[in-house]
Amino acid sequence: MLHWFCLIWAGLAGTAHAACGEQLPAPGRLQATAGGVQLAFAPRPAPLAVGRHFALEVEVCVPPGTPVPAALRVDADMPAHRHGMNYRATVQPLGPGRFVAEGLLFHMPGRWRFIFDLSGAGGAAPLRLTQEVALE
Amino acid sequence: MRALAVALMAVCTTFAEAASALEFSPAERRRIEQLGPWPPPAAFDAGNAQAGRPDAIAFGQRLFFDPRLSPDGRFACASCHVPAQAFADAAPRGQGREALARNTPSLWNAVHERWYGWDGAFDSLWSQALQPLRAADEMGASARHISHTVRADPDLSCRYRRVFGNPPPGDDEATLVDVAKALGAFVGSLVSARTPFDDFRDALLRDDKTAAAPYPADAQRGLRLFIGRGQCSTCHLGPMLSNGEFGDTGLPFFVRPGVVDPGRHAGIAALRANPHNLLSRWADAPARGAGAVKTRHVEPQPRNFGEFKVPSLRNVALTAPYMHDGQIATLAGVVRHYSELNLERLHSDGEQILKPLRLSDSESADLVAFLDTLSDPRALQWRAPDWAPCDAAGP
Repeated sequence: MLHWFCLIWAGLAGTAHAACGEQLPAPGRLQATAGGVQLAFAPRPAPLAVGRHFALEVEVCVPPGTPVPAALRVDADMPAHRHGMNYRATVQPLGPGRFVAEGLLFHMPGRWRFIFDLSGAGGAAPLRLTQEVALE
Repeated sequence: MRALAVALMAVCTTFAEAASALEFSPAERRRIEQLGPWPPPAAFDAGNAQAGRPDAIAFGQRLFFDPRLSPDGRFACASCHVPAQAFADAAPRGQGREALARNTPSLWNAVHERWYGWDGAFDSLWSQALQPLRAADEMGASARHISHTVRADPDLSCRYRRVFGNPPPGDDEATLVDVAKALGAFVGSLVSARTPFDDFRDALLRDDKTAAAPYPADAQRGLRLFIGRGQCSTCHLGPMLSNGEFGDTGLPFFVRPGVVDPGRHAGIAALRANPHNLLSRWADAPARGAGAVKTRHVEPQPRNFGEFKVPSLRNVALTAPYMHDGQIATLAGVVRHYSELNLERLHSDGEQILKPLRLSDSESADLVAFLDTLSDPRALQWRAPDWAPCDAAGP
């Protein structure tokens, strides 16, 4: 299901918005891409630090003619340690394709993986985007 | 002459040993930098409008040492949090009106912690203070008893009015919470001074080899282990040398035969059920304030069972015995535990963080030497500030 959704989304996509996330704060800003969808995110405060709560400002950029995802779920884990965070992020929509996720905390140094689950509008299938960061 | 030559050689060897150990790699220096600075920026008890206020600290101090807060007059906060014991009690497990299940933690620098209690069942100093006051096996006081004690004592009553602007109200629960906030203000004022390690860290970061030289060579080797092969700084990092979270360290967690201490698993449940947590109407900070983010977002997970707080290592050499229930008597014993770790005792099924360190005797001694340098030399010599007598008509 996810595979078909990605193919359809990619087919419609062409190239996603070139300047995705440009309006987000530059320090620590990163991008994740999947299925023709770009997702930019920036931590607040930046830079990320071990043991400090942070929020993420998120912008999702979809190809023209594609429904903007209605909902976003944000999580993170440490694949090498096989554990996640001790906190569950909450996400608030800020406008079409814009979200803020609060309550994240990375409690040890190492490689963390951000996980973004997008729920499409109008019953579209979900899409997962990930991005790893190394935290010293 | 021969003796002089030997002495000179010893001096040179010692100097060379210390100087050579200063050659930390850039990656090591970054990890060492993460173990500071000290003191960190000031912190205040979350949800406590009285935090940091001198009148509240003075009132809290009076309360902290007052055994009349327990109905039988036997226990003050200071009965277990003894200043001459680094505000701990040197016993494996606490002793209130009954024997307790866990080790009494030191109160030094508690204001810089995120969670309180070995299971993190409390999110502020003041909400934590309510626990020993009321628990039947600790001080065993009721809100009515505390409120009456404050109202009946001229000095306590005067200090209450100085802090809160009014006499103690008829609402016993409100008075109890105010008392807890004064205690939180006092405990929040207990921040220990710099340590030999702090001086070394700062000297190292500014490449001041002269200032770094007095730091013992064995402690430097222990530091290298701590941030390197030992991976201690995976959890023990930051100025507090703790990530402020919880972990399973492969220790037995039986309270007594057949009874386990569920640790963080029950701690989160207790936090959420606590009518005095930071999301409650008793918290002074707005519910969406920065201090409440942790409470709003903390997430219980199955692996929390048997997890206990990663303790700060500041003043660790002064606060034996160790672990959540005081089951290890010495720092050497703690190092031995991690060196010979029994992986079958780790209760989590996923994390792959802890591994037996297999340290040699000299490496173990170096690690202990490093831990010995994390203490403020004056942390056992706290003296009560000389607060002026309370004058209700005063400012």
